[in-house]
Amino acid sequence: MSGGPPKALPSTGPQSLRDMPHPLAGSSSEEAVGGDSTPSPDLLTARSFGDKDLILPNGGTPAGPASPASSSSLLNRLQLDDDIDGETRDLFVTVDDPKKHVCTMETYITYRITTKSTRVEFDLPEYSVRRRYQDFDWLRNKLEESQPTHLIPPLPEKFVVKGVVDRFSEEFVETRRKALDKFLKRITDHPVLSFNEHFNVFLTAKDLNAHKKQGMALLTRVGESVKHVTGGYKLRSRPLEFAAIGEYLDTFALKLGTIDRIAQRIIKEEIEYLVELREYGPVYSTWSALEGELAEPLEGVSACIGNCSTALEELTEDMTEDFLPVLREYILYSDCMKSVLKKRDQVQAEYEAKLEAVALRKEERPKVPANVEKCQDRMECFNADLKADMERWQNSKRQDFRQLLMGMADKNIQYYEKEEESVSRWASKMPSVTANSLLLVKRKPPQFAATFLGTAASKVFISNY
Amino acid sequence: MEQALPDPERRLQPAPLEPLGHPDAGLESAVGEEAEGARDEGPGDGSMMENNFWLKKIEISVSEAEKRTGRNAMNMQETYTAYLIETRSVEHIDGQSVLTDSLWRRYSEFELLRNYLLVYYPHIVVPPLPEKRAEFVWHKLSADNMDPDFVERRRIGLENFLLRVASHPILCRDKIFYLFLTQEGNWKETVNETGFQLKADSRLKALNATFRVKNPDKRFTELKHYSDELQSVISHLLRVRARVADRLYGVYKVHGNYGRVFSEWSAIEKEMGDGLQSAGHHMDVYASSIDDILEDEEHYADQLKEYLFYAEALRAVCRKHELMQYDLEMAAQDLASKKQQCEELATGTVRTFSLKGMTTKLFGQETPEQREARIKVLEEQINEGEQQLKSKNQEGREFVKNAWADIERFKEQKNHDLKEALISYAVMQISMCKKGIQVWTNAKECFSKM
Repeated sequence: MSGGPPKALPSTGPQSLRDMPHPLAGSSSEEAVGGDSTPSPDLLTARSFGDKDLILPNGGTPAGPASPASSSSLLNRLQLDDDIDGETRDLFVTVDDPKKHVCTMETYITYRITTKSTRVEFDLPEYSVRRRYQDFDWLRNKLEESQPTHLIPPLPEKFVVKGVVDRFSEEFVETRRKALDKFLKRITDHPVLSFNEHFNVFLTAKDLNAHKKQGMALLTRVGESVKHVTGGYKLRSRPLEFAAIGEYLDTFALKLGTIDRIAQRIIKEEIEYLVELREYGPVYSTWSALEGELAEPLEGVSACIGNCSTALEELTEDMTEDFLPVLREYILYSDCMKSVLKKRDQVQAEYEAKLEAVALRKEERPKVPANVEKCQDRMECFNADLKADMERWQNSKRQDFRQLLMGMADKNIQYYEKEEESVSRWASKMPSVTANSLLLVKRKPPQFAATFLGTAASKVFISNY
Repeated sequence: MEQALPDPERRLQPAPLEPLGHPDAGLESAVGEEAEGARDEGPGDGSMMENNFWLKKIEISVSEAEKRTGRNAMNMQETYTAYLIETRSVEHIDGQSVLTDSLWRRYSEFELLRNYLLVYYPHIVVPPLPEKRAEFVWHKLSADNMDPDFVERRRIGLENFLLRVASHPILCRDKIFYLFLTQEGNWKETVNETGFQLKADSRLKALNATFRVKNPDKRFTELKHYSDELQSVISHLLRVRARVADRLYGVYKVHGNYGRVFSEWSAIEKEMGDGLQSAGHHMDVYASSIDDILEDEEHYADQLKEYLFYAEALRAVCRKHELMQYDLEMAAQDLASKKQQCEELATGTVRTFSLKGMTTKLFGQETPEQREARIKVLEEQINEGEQQLKSKNQEGREFVKNAWADIERFKEQKNHDLKEALISYAVMQISMCKKGIQVWTNAKECFSKM
């Protein structure tokens, strides 16, 4: 990763479990959002890391992915909203403000979930609760159970190899926060999932653990029955659109994997370049100390190289923190899609098997029994839901990748702009130089001079600045 | 006894012989008023031309390089590169140039020329030759002497060397230099006939002097330290720069992989396909742009290398001073001891240890006649010694004066050249940034159409 040591979050300090109010008993859920005016005591002492993030102002905010507020990405986010849903948004969810909690048994991080909605399903217009990763995991499982015909967005990786990554480092927590935010926003954007009662509970309940113990609430008919589908049925023929997307996903995941490797390699090379630059710059300073008239220009070159190093470091950090995680999330998203497709295949297979069994029984009145009809219903429901989700996924993918790649281009442009600015500033301090004094031109013989002058002419001369 | 000043017969007679050149001979006339050395004769403008007895400007170029095979001194076949040197005289009225001479030289002949100049002009900071073998290479560059890129850069370096000599107010008048440019055959024999190798100071002698000199001119001591440090810092700089180039190469080239994968990915996409495909193309452009960028940067490295080698030339002048000074000190010491001996013989007191004194003690006193004879010899030697000391002193002073004048000229040149080198380096960096911005902007536009 980048140069400096990973920063750890400060923690609340060890306290006895009995004395500490449960951190997930989001005490501020009743208040108007606009600040945690009376958070529970233990949360007060912990330092908040929300500074870098966009703190959403009151009133409607776009539910796009959280990203640095550069003008182009802001524009992209607005575009995203217009494209995804034609209707006006009535639900906004944000994940921010990670805090570390140290208890006797364990240490963990919670995130603040802020919800604003005008929907009738919500008793209050605004909510603010604290959730930890395992709560998100619970939510996802519940959604999978209760909406098995739909594609549920992925969560960031659950397990972290201890010792390799510091799961309390600022970078890790921030990366996870962004992924969790994206997860909730995808659900928010989904016309069916966003109305799911478990989702509602997740966003609003003061004490989520109590809800978890209650067990499952109403399950849809489809949900219940799909839960009991066992594997083992062989599929006769897959409908075209599902076969196509299956193949697509295979190649897609491969390509993403390759891009991930390339991006990592580039970052690695850039870091090695950075290491050399950090040795290169100071040599000019050493030289500068030997000289008289040349001292200032040489020192200036050293400073320029220093600026270039800083800009490069920022570039590698940005790529590591913003680019790679999104790429990886899409690989997980493809995996989610593939597993839903498998489930769909199973439902179809079951139906086909049952149908075949009926046909073989040769009854006098070949009437399709009720259970086979149910199977057919299930299958057609699944197909319809999944098709809709697939389309949604494709749109999402297009938006997200457009934004991701434009962001990558932007960061590189910014890097070069910073470097150019620094070098130009140095050059403008040098006494004006005419085109003739480019030594290189003098040295080349006539037949080459013409070619070189051609390229030299396209270079910007300092005197023009 | 080596000479501090150039041997008169080696210097070119003033006009009517072929005019060799004007101090800014060798620069393309298009460049005009820019000249490399500071002229110690007067202001660097057109008025020079009328006052100077050199009538024409000349242009020198090393225009071609060719591989040759031949037989060396041991009659073995060898491959070497020969360089074509063309000299043109420029009628300063209408600026037209006429080819006056054209001949082929190989690197060893350049070396011979330089070694000759070093011996005959020890008070001059003699311009250095480009490196014999490629050093400070980054991995993609070849360290092979026969590699075309290396040969090309060496060609430029050799031309640079000739231009520097031709534009030096003193060196440009040397006959051997003139013959180097004009007389292809027999030149080697002519140089060797000067017997300059014999006149060269032995390394051992020079080293000895450096350690034992007691009172060198402080400026030269400081200059020696400066050139040591300059050599060290530029070496370090070149080494790190080569590594930086290596790394930068890696960064750019890996981006080429994006080109391929975007192309493959675009094949499975519908609306995103075109955008990805064209963005991939820009990534390829980006990856391949590094080759030209780094080739340009080699010129910057070559400019630095020239001054790295110049540091050695500076040191040579300092060494010469130390040698002369040491010589002077030894001569003075010798004279003082002889005087003392003489005095002792005359007064009969023996203060210094001498063989004669010992033998006298052992084998008996010498006769007054013998003593007189010895005194006479000594007095002659003392006279000679005093003459020699006087002339050595004068030579020493002349050397210091001339050498320091050339060193000042060199300092001006160095400051000017290095400033320009840094500026052109900056221009290269800016150009690289602009290219980078262009490519990524193009890619961004392609992405926006996805």
